[in-house]
Amino acid sequence: MAIRRLLTLARRSRRDTTNQLLRPFSTSLAADTSSSSPSSAPSNFSPPPPSAMVYDRLAENVKDKLKQLEQPDSRFLKYSSPHPTRVDHTPILSAPLTRVTTLPNGLRIATESNLACATATVGVWIDAGSRFESDETNGTAHFLEHMIFKGTERRTARELEEEIENMGGHLNAYTSREQTTYYAKVLEKDVPKAMDILADILQNSKFEESKITRERDVILREMQEVEGQTEEVIFDHLHATAFQHTSLARTILGPADNIMTITKQHLKDYISTHYSAPRMVIAASGAVNHEEIVEQVKKLFTKLSPTGITTSQLIAKEPAIFTGSEVRMIDDDIPLAQFAVAFEGLSWTDPDSVALMIMQSILGSWSKTAGGGKHMGSALAQRIGINEIAESMMAFNSNYKDSGLFGVYAVAKPDCLDDLAYAIMYEMSKLSYRVSEEDVIRAQNQLKSSLLLHLDGTTPVTEDIGRQLLTYGRRIPYAEFFARIDAVDANTIKRVATRVIRDKEVAISALGPIQGLPDLNWFKRRTYWLRY
Amino acid sequence: MYRTAASRIRALKGRTGNGALKRFASSSAVATQSSSGGLFSWLTGGKSTSVPPLDFPLKDVTIPPSLPDKVEPGKTKITTLPNGLRIASETSASPAASIGLYVDCGSIYETPGSFGASHLLERMAFKSTTNRSHLRVVREVEAIGGNVTAAASREQMVYTYDALKTHVPEMLELLVDSVRNPAFLDWEVKEQIQKLKEDIGEYSKNPQHLLLEAIHSASYSGPWGNPLVASESAAERLNSSVLEEFVTENYTASRMVLAASGVEHDELLKIAEPLLSDLPNVPRPPEPKPVYVGGDYRHQAEEGTTHFALAFEFPGGWLKEKEAMTLTVLQLLMGGGGSFSAGGPGKGMYSRLYLRVLNEYPQMQMFSAFSSIYDNTGLFGIQATTSSDFATKAIDIAVKELIAVATPGEVDQVQLDRAKQSTKSAILMNLESRMIASEDIGKQIATYGERKPVELFLKAIDEITAKDITSVAQKILSSPLTLASYGDVLYLPSYDAVSRKFH
Repeated sequence: MAIRRLLTLARRSRRDTTNQLLRPFSTSLAADTSSSSPSSAPSNFSPPPPSAMVYDRLAENVKDKLKQLEQPDSRFLKYSSPHPTRVDHTPILSAPLTRVTTLPNGLRIATESNLACATATVGVWIDAGSRFESDETNGTAHFLEHMIFKGTERRTARELEEEIENMGGHLNAYTSREQTTYYAKVLEKDVPKAMDILADILQNSKFEESKITRERDVILREMQEVEGQTEEVIFDHLHATAFQHTSLARTILGPADNIMTITKQHLKDYISTHYSAPRMVIAASGAVNHEEIVEQVKKLFTKLSPTGITTSQLIAKEPAIFTGSEVRMIDDDIPLAQFAVAFEGLSWTDPDSVALMIMQSILGSWSKTAGGGKHMGSALAQRIGINEIAESMMAFNSNYKDSGLFGVYAVAKPDCLDDLAYAIMYEMSKLSYRVSEEDVIRAQNQLKSSLLLHLDGTTPVTEDIGRQLLTYGRRIPYAEFFARIDAVDANTIKRVATRVIRDKEVAISALGPIQGLPDLNWFKRRTYWLRY
Repeated sequence: MYRTAASRIRALKGRTGNGALKRFASSSAVATQSSSGGLFSWLTGGKSTSVPPLDFPLKDVTIPPSLPDKVEPGKTKITTLPNGLRIASETSASPAASIGLYVDCGSIYETPGSFGASHLLERMAFKSTTNRSHLRVVREVEAIGGNVTAAASREQMVYTYDALKTHVPEMLELLVDSVRNPAFLDWEVKEQIQKLKEDIGEYSKNPQHLLLEAIHSASYSGPWGNPLVASESAAERLNSSVLEEFVTENYTASRMVLAASGVEHDELLKIAEPLLSDLPNVPRPPEPKPVYVGGDYRHQAEEGTTHFALAFEFPGGWLKEKEAMTLTVLQLLMGGGGSFSAGGPGKGMYSRLYLRVLNEYPQMQMFSAFSSIYDNTGLFGIQATTSSDFATKAIDIAVKELIAVATPGEVDQVQLDRAKQSTKSAILMNLESRMIASEDIGKQIATYGERKPVELFLKAIDEITAKDITSVAQKILSSPLTLASYGDVLYLPSYDAVSRKFH
């Protein structure tokens, strides 16, 4: 290490002189502090008698410092309290109105105007995703997301890209298991243009064979990137095992074989089946006017089918079924082990899903680098921080239309896995037996604030509108969401934990040097307590 | 015993709750199917409350009146306290507030004995103060669900606190206490130094970061060449008294700005003034002058890829705002990026470096223009990652691209208009965010002493011509070259060989 540094120093031709000057000085300083001579201590402390040993001096030094802490300045302690309390947020919960219009063909348009803003985000949220494919066509939704920017009857791919770049806008898309989104972020004056582009790519895309062939390589490359991100891999495998043999098990990208065989016909079929008007929401926020957007949509989105199969029909045909199971990929070449433990969570609309969000917040998240260290409110984070048994931990809660996943994901050194697994299972099962009111209030406050702090800018707001309209069929006012959060107390948490965790099936996905991770039965046994 | 009794009562309630649910379930979707309590729900408790599912409105909620469509953001109000500390704020319609404390202090104020102090201060932020233990700090932040961050840079320390507007007094109190009265307990400092060393280890594995550090240390002589991420041996020398000294010297009233977005100015003043007005009024020492010399840095590492950066000085920095805006436009005009990147149109796919370099040479993994602009100085150049057998050619390409933008007539109007438009929309889109707005207030006041309206910057961009771009580029290229490389660097051309191509 030292030699390498010397080598690099030698190569920095122009900095040599200063560095050499620094060296002798710095070494003497290091020696100075390590022997902790009085000269490095603050001047205001009275030196101990000369007979005192080095450790006595050190003790004096520390005591001197602690003395400062004994007289806190009340000026700085007037408002804050470390104990969470329920606060009335009503005065700040006024929000711009969310206006929703449903067109005769079932297409919904939802906007939130903020005319003081100079920019806007407009987008199309579609109730379709990789879940509604079949094993043979898995990957189509994502393939489509790529192909839709590759040219329409009116615009070539190049013209489309240049048009967006020239107005300094952004056009983006993403696909998840149940939703697909296309959105544009532009300046106020370019909103009509952005609407025109969105309508054009959704209704008139050409899908040229040559471009499809070229995009296969791009998607395979993206797949490599995703496979390099172990967190993504863990969650893909978790879905594959927890929902095995059902539609939620499939990945978003699809298997490589499918990516090589998907044709133009698959893409066209997918659009005609799933991109129907009632399954779409046009959402906009920022410098937009509801009436103008509605007029533009009426003019532009004319080719959408007003009928078609609905998602509830699709889900009734292929419901998600949770299976307690595990998947492990042992790989001793990776330095850190990681795993996710999950229970079957709740659907988007389930009345208890708010309580589950609070439970997620109670379990919290922790990482070695985060500032909270050992002091965080979450009991799980404390156990992990104090015992140093993980690198990072995160509770997760994902919802789907008829199911969900609730659990904890953690990364750790291989020799801590059993302790970590115990801590996670203990704290999760504890939720059905012992929950303090203080923990609940803290989690409620954190949930409320994270919901609102997240809505920072037009893109997160538009995303919130689009997602809520697809999942809840309406936009829930902040005040109502807060009231729902406030309606939860420790007893509700215990009841919901009993419903989701106590003696329920567990799904596990693990990757890396995981020989030390207990087996599935061990986890299952720790979903309930016999003594408490 | 009482437990069973209780669960019976709950079971009774549960039945009714379930009934209501079932009706909804059949009408809405199969979605709520799984929410029925199941066969033995009377035993496990089942449902105890009858909250409607989320797709149905909750009754008995008073929804506050909605805001009008247009709420003008308040003007930025600035108050200077008698001791020189500046307090600024603007109101907003958002339910959240973002407060930041900005200190004109950073690695350029470090001396050889305190190298790494700013970085360590970033890690020591929101730890024990003389009034609060670290535990209490953490729990106070959690109790209101806030977010605190701290960041060190070369010339500014930033401490921010984000939370709901209801909690502004709590936020201010904690933020000011943490910055003003850190206790620097020895065990906390030691623990963070340990983490600092881990950070340093992480950074040394990140070529992008390493190069940026290297460029600064090779470019400048004197304090501006100080490392932001110091070496491990420098971290070893740090301790609580070094930090105390550094803070006493640099965290003075006239060098601090308290900026807030989403807070009424009067409220801010009422709470913040008593907490900050007793800071001693120390005249500000002169800021270290940047001395740009240019230079060469090479670090041999794993074979196969070469990372390099060519940089030049942009004299003036933010204080020459017109030229700084021209430089920003120039950066977006050159653009570039990774050969593989996610995201749709709008990421600069038609910038010069994308069209002329990344689309032409598949060996180039990353090729982009970069700039680091400070108050009085700045660096501008090209950063690249290539396979190592292509590195020499890549340097030639980078030289050619830099000289091209400094040649009159090379930049056409279409490219320039696109870059100007992108710069304007990037500014406006960033200002949507409450957090960025608060940062903008703080940084502008620290730099200019006032907050300039965004229209001024937009107008400055509109006025930029191709000639301005060329003259700024020429001015930059007339400074000595800085060349930094990492990876397989043995066969790169010598510094003089590259430098000769420019002068």
